[in-house]
This record gives sequence, C-alpha cells and structure tokens, in this order.
Amino acid sequence: MEIKFSGVTKIFQPDIIALEDIYFQMEKGDFVYLVGETGSGKTTLLRCITREVVPTRGQISVGGNLLRKINRFNLALFRRDIGVVFQSFLLLPNLTAFENVAFVLEVMGLPPREISDRVSEVLKLVGIWRRRNLFPPQLSGGEQQRLSIARAIVSGPSLLLADEPTGNLDNHTADEIMQLILGINAAGTTVIMATHNEYIVDTYTHRVVEIHRGRIVRDEEQGRYELHGSC
Amino acid sequence: MAAVRYACRDGWRLIVRHWGMSLLTIFTAMSVFFIIGASTLFVLNVKNIVSSLENQLTIQAYLKPKADAKATEKAIKELPFVKETKLITRDMALERLRSRIGEQAKAVMLLGENPLPESFEIKVKNVSQVAETARLLIAIPEVEDIVYAGRVAEKLARVSSFVEKFSIIMLLVAIAASGVVLFNTIRISVYSREEEIGVMMMVGATSTYVALPFVIQGFILGITGALFASLLLGGTYYSAVTRLKEMLPFIPLIESTRLTGKLAFMLICCGATVSLISSLMAVEKFIRKASKPL
Ligand SMILES: Nc1ncnc2c1ncn2[C@@H]1O[C@H](COP(=O)(O)OP(=O)(O)O)[C@@H](O)[C@H]1O
Ligand SMILES: [Mg+2]
Repeated sequence: MEIKFSGVTKIFQPDIIALEDIYFQMEKGDFVYLVGETGSGKTTLLRCITREVVPTRGQISVGGNLLRKINRFNLALFRRDIGVVFQSFLLLPNLTAFENVAFVLEVMGLPPREISDRVSEVLKLVGIWRRRNLFPPQLSGGEQQRLSIARAIVSGPSLLLADEPTGNLDNHTADEIMQLILGINAAGTTVIMATHNEYIVDTYTHRVVEIHRGRIVRDEEQGRYELHGSC
Repeated sequence: MAAVRYACRDGWRLIVRHWGMSLLTIFTAMSVFFIIGASTLFVLNVKNIVSSLENQLTIQAYLKPKADAKATEKAIKELPFVKETKLITRDMALERLRSRIGEQAKAVMLLGENPLPESFEIKVKNVSQVAETARLLIAIPEVEDIVYAGRVAEKLARVSSFVEKFSIIMLLVAIAASGVVLFNTIRISVYSREEEIGVMMMVGATSTYVALPFVIQGFILGITGALFASLLLGGTYYSAVTRLKEMLPFIPLIESTRLTGKLAFMLICCGATVSLISSLMAVEKFIRKASKPL
C-alpha cells in the first residue's frame, strides 16, 4: 500500500506538538525503519496511518484513501487491510493464543473452517503452535510478541505497522522476529517498523526515517541506526 | 452468517457472565410489563362493564311512600317509549335484597317495618330512549327517584377515563424506566469489554458487528421479561376472574383468550422494541466515543 503524508502536523491538547510538518512517502512493498528517541512521535505517526489519530493540519493518503474523508464503515474495511503489532501487544488476556488470532478473522466474517486453517498455519509460521491453548499471561515476552505478529498478519494485510516489535527481546529472539517480518515483506507486504533496536537496524539494513521532536530529520536508503537528531 | 452465529453465542455469553445483573434486568422488565398488562386489563374491563351497563334497557323508578301504585303505572304506560312495566312490591324488594346480601338483610327489619319503597321496573325498546324516558319519569309527581344503568355507566365512564389517562402516563414512565435499566445493563456489559471492543475496531470490525452481541443480549433480556410478565399476568388474571365470577356474578368480565393473547403479544412486542432501542442507544453511544480519533 502506498502511503503519503503531506504537511502533517499533530498537536495534542493543550500544546504538545507530536508531529510537525511531516512529508513522507512510500511505495507498495517498501520497508522502512522509523527511528528516534522516546517521545519523538513514532507511535503517533503510525496511529495517523490507522486513523486513531487525525492530524491537526495536513493530508494523509493510504492505499488511495484520503483518511480525513473516510467514513466509519469504510474505515473498518480499510483497517482489515492493515496489520498492527502494538507496542503494548494489546492481546486479550481472557482468550487463548489461538482465539486471539481467530478473533481477527471472525470479525471479517470468515467461515469457521477457513478460520481454523489459517490460524493454525500462521501460528506454525511464528512458532507458537504448541502454545496455542495458553492464555497471553502464560506466555513469555517473546511468545507474546510472536502472537501479536501472528494476529497482525493472519488476514494477509497489504500493510504491516510494527511498533517496537523487538522491544525487550534478546538479540537472538529479535533476529527470529526480524526474519518473520522480512519474510512477510518479501511476500509483498509494505512494512513500517518503529524501533529502538540498533543491532537490528544495522544488521538488516533498509531505508531509515528518523524523527526528532516530531520532525523528520533524516530519510536515507540503507541507513544506519545512529541518531542524528540528538547531536 | 457466521457473524450472526458468533453474535448470538456472544450475546448469550454476556448474559451468563453478568447473570446477577441479567436477572435484575429481567425482573425489572417483568415488573414493568406486568404493571402495563394489568392496567390495560383493568381499563378494558371497566370499558366492558360500562358498555354492558349502557346497553341495559331497564329503568328503576322508586315511588313516594304514599303514592298510588295503580295510578302511577297508568301514567308511566302513557309515556312514549315504555314497552313494559313491572311492579316491585316492598316484599319483593326485601326478598331481592336478601338474596343479594344474605342474612344481613334482617338488619333492615330491625326498624320494625319494611322500609323499602315500592318501585316499577320499566323497559324501553332501545338504548337511545333510556335517558329521555328517565327525564319524563322523574317529572311524574308520584315518582321519588329513578335509577338506571346508564347513570351508573356515566359515572363509571368518568372514572375509567381518568384511570385511562393516568395509566397512559404511568405506562410511559414505566416503559422509560425499563428502558433506562436495560440501557444501563447494556452499558455495563459494553464497558466490561472495552478492551476487546478497542481491539476489534482496530482490526476492522464494523460497528454493526461490534454492536450485535449487545443488542442481542438486551433483546433477550427484554423479551424474557415481557414473556414472564405475560405468563404471570395470564395466570393471575384467570384465577382472579374465576374468583370474582363467584363473588360478583352480575359483573361482566372479559374472558376472551383471543383478547388476552393479543395483550400478551402486544407486551412482548413492546418489550422487544424497548430493549432493541435502549441497547442500540447504549452501544451506539459507546462506539461513537470509541471510534472518535484523537
Ligand atoms: N493521546 C495523547 N495525548 C497527549 N499527548 C500525547 C498523546 N499521545 C502521544 N502524546 C505525546 O506526543 C509525543 C509523541 O509521543 P509518541 O508518538 O508516543 O512517541 P514515541 O512513540 O516516539 O515514543 C509525546 O510527547 C507524547 O507525550
Ligand atoms: Mg512509541
């Protein structure tokens, strides 16, 4: 899905400037790292794409949809085509791992047989098939992360937004998660990944967009992690 | 289709999970619809009595103590609409009183002499002539007082129209109250799933999909309340009618099962409507708030 931000500014009440005059563009199938220190506006930018946040000024277009104009029903359909790995997972604690993923497809109204096939497949892909009947609090951090990735990709979205998907994971587990995400990207899904993980960004080099205090201060192909904004 | 099945299963889960609240809601709805049904039955019965009284063609004319019965009868028979007259002597009057109130009628005799006046039972040909005949009868000097059903009916009709107006206001209040209770119940279960709904909307659930289980939950609660109210009302009403018929056989009570069936149907429809509207309102309010972007 192609994405275009034109002069996007977001001011939270009363006067927190979370994003300022953002111009940003990516094409279908691209992979972008979003880097910047905590509070720089990475999560806000991702939430603009899912329209959880509406900019104070500026236009955002995602996959041909002008987000300012979209109605409630079309927003629902639009979101089905976006997978989100939330910074805080947002797994439902009273559903099993399996149900947490199946839930997404139930929402889309798929028949039960197909749901169970696709959920099984994706749980095997992320490597937690054997843990499918456990509840999220019974899973380790890495497993919860995998589960939230499984939920994000089970519907085969055109766009994957991952908000610090390797946060709090050791390098080895982070590598495995990264392999997963790169695999999804290789299959044609556009990916934006907000991250603090220097090791990952420098190992699997891709386009890097750096935000500093709500402004884009760097946008380079095959970039490195090292933050420029702070100097 | 799968969505509907999911919603039904989920609506039921909501009811079971908040079972205490569900019972309370059903109980409230039941009480409200019972009151509605009971007052409807009351008004219908009063109306029925009024119309049966209005249709009675008999006028009772009481004579002054020293009046000459023969002469009076002649005067009455000369009136235009009178079809037949029948003299009720003092003894007959006492006998009737005795058959109506039993042994207590003896109390009347404590005064020594039978104090009941002589009277005529006068029949006219049709209802429209009753009031006019009554007016003419009272003009006869020997006649002291007249009693006819229409006059009772008039008074009863006035009471009934007051009851009707009052109960319509009561009904609106009662329905609003049950609506508020349902609204709150649904709101509580919506809030108990706030997190889940948030995730649902993030992964692309439509508002309808989010709302459906809650609407089904409210619908089941409302319908169940109305259904129980109908059953309870039916049971109470027919046992009351049976008893009243023994005690007051001359009062015409509604016994048509078609009518009470209709009433039950009406109550259930009313329960369905109220519960649908209030649960829709509760969920819609929440969804609008939840889907509002920052
Ligand atoms: N809902 C909100 N209301 C007010 N301020 C917010 C809200 N969300 C984020 N912010 C502020 O916007 C800025 C950017 O936050 P965020 O996008 O979460 O940064 P990051 O994800 O890069 O750490 C921060 O100063 C944060 O406090
Ligand atoms: Mg963040």
